[in-house]
Amino acid sequence: MQRLDRLFESSARSLAQRTSRRSFIGVLGRILTGSLLVPLLPIDRIHRAEAASGPEGSPAAAQRVPAAAKGKSTTKAYTEDQQSCDYWKYCAIDGFLCSCCGGSSHTCPPGTQQSVVSWIGTCHNPADGRDYIVSYNDCCGKASCGNCDCYRNERERPLYRLSRNNDVNWCMANTGSDYHCTVSVILGSAGP
Amino acid sequence: MALLGAAAAVGTAARAGPAQDYALHCMGCHGANAQGVPGKVPPLAHSLVRFMNNPAGRRYVLRVPGAANSMLSDAQLAAVLNWVVAQFDAGELGAGTPQFGEQEVAASRHTPMAGVLATRAAVLKEIAAGGPAPSSGY
Repeated sequence: MQRLDRLFESSARSLAQRTSRRSFIGVLGRILTGSLLVPLLPIDRIHRAEAASGPEGSPAAAQRVPAAAKGKSTTKAYTEDQQSCDYWKYCAIDGFLCSCCGGSSHTCPPGTQQSVVSWIGTCHNPADGRDYIVSYNDCCGKASCGNCDCYRNERERPLYRLSRNNDVNWCMANTGSDYHCTVSVILGSAGP
Repeated sequence: MALLGAAAAVGTAARAGPAQDYALHCMGCHGANAQGVPGKVPPLAHSLVRFMNNPAGRRYVLRVPGAANSMLSDAQLAAVLNWVVAQFDAGELGAGTPQFGEQEVAASRHTPMAGVLATRAAVLKEIAAGGPAPSSGY
């Protein structure tokens, strides 16, 4: 037992002679600061989502999506809350949610008109495990709503791929081209 | 003509043929009934088939930016165009008019069209000389 005590005593004295308390606090501070910054690092969510769902258009993609969405499907926001940006059918939306602006997830607020052109995409519904074609129409004719800003744009491409870019005011073809908010209208099921 | 003007975020859905490709790549601008938006987006109904019946018209629709630059493959683009005509204008298709094919699409779509409006006007004039022409003003 004494031998063990001497061992710890000598190693503690040796450490104390070689290092200062200030340097220890400095190292500890760097470790704590570094670990706090880890969650702030950028994450490639698009690549991860595509890796989970397989190559675009592959039959296997549709089969693997339910498993990929399993984690999300446990959250109420993803499955039920239509005023949450996480709600499943908002997967490719870019704008203010009309459900927070006096309308619903699929109807424009009073005093606005639904855009005659739109962005159309697909989203996976965890409730029944199927993919749906969703039209994202802007509601036009009033100033921006400003509530529930939601930017997801899953599988969007850069502007040089214009047909796959959603940085567009879809009110452009309406008489009143002011943008107010965006609705998500299900057009039908996707897939074979 | 601005076929495929709207965007599509395809990814989770398996390929399901030209009807779904139309929904995801064309319908956002051209509409559920291919009716277009007056003065803004040209209609495909009662229009595409008239281009299809004319050799210059066929080359034109394969070179308009929305079609030529779409994310559809040559075979998929041919299938979507054939589907639109079959869906909305089957009765107007000429007796000897062939369907669009993958090779025909490949031969035309990669040649850029600098003056879309001027080319459209010239093609419309040629078609009008022989029968009903597609919509003008686009």
